[in-house]
Amino acid sequence: MYRSPTQLRATIQRAAPLLLVLLAAVIIVLGRADERMFAPLRIALADDAGPVLGALSRPLVLAATAVDRVRGVVEMYQDNLRLESDNARLLQWQQAALRLAEQNRELRQLLRVVPNPALSYVTARVIADSGGGYVRTALIDAGSKEGLARGQAVIAGQGLVGRLTEVGERAARVLLITDLNSRIPVIVDGAPAAAVLAGDNSERPRLIYAVPPDRIKIGERVVTSGEGGLFPPDLPVGVVSALDPEGARVEPFVGLSQLGYVMVVNYGLARDLPQPVPASAGHRRHARPTALAAAVR
Amino acid sequence: MALRVSSIPSLPRVNSGIARMLPIATTVAAVLLAVLPVRIPGYATLTPAFALMAVYHWTIYRPDLLPPAGLFVVGFAEDLLTGGPVGVNALLLLLARAAVLRQRRHFIINRTFPFVWSGFTLLTITAMFGLWTLHCLLQLSLSGFRAAVFRTVLTIAIFPAASFVLGRTQRALMGAG
Repeated sequence: MYRSPTQLRATIQRAAPLLLVLLAAVIIVLGRADERMFAPLRIALADDAGPVLGALSRPLVLAATAVDRVRGVVEMYQDNLRLESDNARLLQWQQAALRLAEQNRELRQLLRVVPNPALSYVTARVIADSGGGYVRTALIDAGSKEGLARGQAVIAGQGLVGRLTEVGERAARVLLITDLNSRIPVIVDGAPAAAVLAGDNSERPRLIYAVPPDRIKIGERVVTSGEGGLFPPDLPVGVVSALDPEGARVEPFVGLSQLGYVMVVNYGLARDLPQPVPASAGHRRHARPTALAAAVR
Repeated sequence: MALRVSSIPSLPRVNSGIARMLPIATTVAAVLLAVLPVRIPGYATLTPAFALMAVYHWTIYRPDLLPPAGLFVVGFAEDLLTGGPVGVNALLLLLARAAVLRQRRHFIINRTFPFVWSGFTLLTITAMFGLWTLHCLLQLSLSGFRAAVFRTVLTIAIFPAASFVLGRTQRALMGAG
């Protein structure tokens, strides 16, 4: 059947919206089937958009700093009162901490504990977040050029923020502990109980698989357990803030929706992190001796 | 049928290159605005769907300058940037465009803002509910409904401001259209 070029162009133009919708649907299915399929594209775009996003987000950081400063001036008197009482309390804690540190050092010497020091720190600025999507991630303006690698822990101020899932040359993506796909082995300090901290895209992640399950109480500190070898043990995560029937809720120490600067810590644990293998490849993960397990042995 | 088609006035020609790029450029700007980290507690979850506002506005006033291929690329890029499931935003923007285009003649006849706003309200509720359903299917989990409702409300509430900015930009660069 012969068609003139104008007719052909009109046909393509009419079919284009439908074809593109189908293409988008196919991409969704492919992306669901193989999570890593679009990872190289993601990293490439983050690398290219990084400088632009960095420049655009700078005024926002400045604005936030300015707001903080104004608030600081307004609340100076009250802050001062609070700080004075805090200071008196903390001086007592300092004495206790010094005594415990000394005791700890002596006990470590007795047991010949191998210390697990951080190898390096990189400070980076958050340049983008998930923008209302059904994920909790953040882009930061540092990448493999600064020595970052997949799996490294990201912390800010008082606690754990998440870990690096994608690392480009100049930008990297942080999977926050609140994301639906985040699972972190933790210990509830007071109980003591081992559990997995599972994000569900809400502000406060849940504790699942708690052992023993009924000993967790509100107000107890949650720290990483170091199991699995991804994070070092004893990184502060948050406090138990509510007890739901489906698991205790944890209020993170870090305000994850107000991240300005974060610190990426390389503990040397993520060196040989295996790449996730698609489920069809038969096996999901290699068993491997972790640095932590090696240290215990 | 012929009567209905001829009742839609043809769009004035825009010759300036910058003006022709305006719909796509503002949609890209809307995506960037959505992913920029604003340090307000809980904002990352509730960020309004800025791109949806741009698509709605331009599909009503200048559908000729917002080609589906361009929308596809912008939506795809947004998915890659946010780290979410790939293709979801591309699909959302394309379907929104198609839905508005089908109803476009109503907006040609009735240009009052309350009418345009109620059209957007309908579109946003449908789009956000669809997005939530798709997310539930993809993640096999029923979470995030409350956040979706709040996000819908916020998106609808911010639309007048976005519409004002887009309208002003359109008039400044394209003339009355």
